[in-house]
Amino acid sequence: MNIKFLSACLVAVLFTFSSSGQGFVNKLRQKADEAAAKALEKKAKEKAGIDDAQTDDTNSNRPSGSSSKNANRPSNKGGGGLISTPPDVKQHLADAETSYKSGSYGEARYAVQQAMLGVEMEIGKKVLEALPASVSGLDKLEEADQVTSAGYGWSGLTIHREYLKDDKELRATIANNSAWMSAVNMYMANGGYAQTTNGEQNWKQVKVKGHKAIIEYDDNSGYKLSVPLGQTSLIVWEGVNFESEQEMMSAANSFDIDGIKNMLGEK
Amino acid sequence: MEKMKILLTLSFILSLTATGWSQDFSKNITTAKNSYAGGNLEDARFAMEQMLNDIDMVIGREVLKMLPAKMETFTSNPKNDNVAANTGLAGVAIHRDYGTGEKILNLDLMSNSPIVASINAILSIPFMGNSGDGTQKIIKVEGYKAILQKSVDAESSKTNYTLQIPIGATLLTFTAPDTNEEDVIRMANLIPISQITKLVE
Repeated sequence: MNIKFLSACLVAVLFTFSSSGQGFVNKLRQKADEAAAKALEKKAKEKAGIDDAQTDDTNSNRPSGSSSKNANRPSNKGGGGLISTPPDVKQHLADAETSYKSGSYGEARYAVQQAMLGVEMEIGKKVLEALPASVSGLDKLEEADQVTSAGYGWSGLTIHREYLKDDKELRATIANNSAWMSAVNMYMANGGYAQTTNGEQNWKQVKVKGHKAIIEYDDNSGYKLSVPLGQTSLIVWEGVNFESEQEMMSAANSFDIDGIKNMLGEK
Repeated sequence: MEKMKILLTLSFILSLTATGWSQDFSKNITTAKNSYAGGNLEDARFAMEQMLNDIDMVIGREVLKMLPAKMETFTSNPKNDNVAANTGLAGVAIHRDYGTGEKILNLDLMSNSPIVASINAILSIPFMGNSGDGTQKIIKVEGYKAILQKSVDAESSKTNYTLQIPIGATLLTFTAPDTNEEDVIRMANLIPISQITKLVE
């Protein structure tokens, strides 16, 4: 019985050695193959007159996973971009009418959405024109003026302007007709922003030109002043490196809030 | 004869309502055009919002006409048919249900549904759609990918199914209580999805 057990162990050990030995032989064979391939490649390059450094450079510049075909493709050096063309409101209204009459309701819906987009872009442009060119010594950044509209849906219309001088910045954002505005209004009406007397005061309720507002302060981002306008609009100012709450308030006071409210059709 | 009278009255009421929506659309488009021409952009926009509302209501009513009157043995409940246009957050919501008592099948369509994007994400990633425990799987109904979810009621031990089919930005949801997978799929195939797609998209 013991002899049988010993011989079984011996066979097992022999198998282990033979398999690891085979592994060693395979590794040796692989190394030899690699060395031979390198030698052949070098010979071929010498004959073709290709520099080794040049080849390495090409390989390092190629994005991983791309084929050699892509290496010679031209990269874009610039173009005209897209032309910003606001939708033609009159044309889209005419299209909507025709589609509706012919029973193409999906098309009619699309045309109305495009017309709404066109109107919203015009409203946004009008509001931007009415905003002050400079506020508290900060001039407007012409290239930062922005009107964003989805034409319909929850996002509504957003108008954005920035004022800047050195490291002092004021950002004004007006959101109109956005669904989340009702939530903000409800929050304010229900005293969501309850004021405390203890601890650090990071926000409080204030009034800007007679409109209820919330001012917030954060060491990293600076001042933030939010004024809900009517039922579905909101104006938010963010002041970076403003010295005091008073300075922030006087910056906001230079905006014609009632004018903006009227333009947005808010009561 | 009595049934005939009821049907005629119903179709007359429906045609009157459709005419009503049509008139609203005409009125609103005139307001939109005039307001825009007069530079009153906010009024023009408001009139356009109303137009979207009118279109959504018409779409809803047309979709209801397309839906089957019966889902196999379950008859629809016309008094529960509903179309609600919510321009803004979501588009039109259309509802029809079938059956009586505890076994009521619900068919709902919501355009511009906020959850369509997440459902499409599940459908586009193969390993996310099918759960290991068999409570969720991806199937096809009339060529449209859909998510079929199974849930077992802890109290009654009945198996309920929910089928969600995104059609563009519209979400079609079909719920069937106390049933089996084969029956749900067979009933779902009675819904004219291609025709509905043409109308809502």
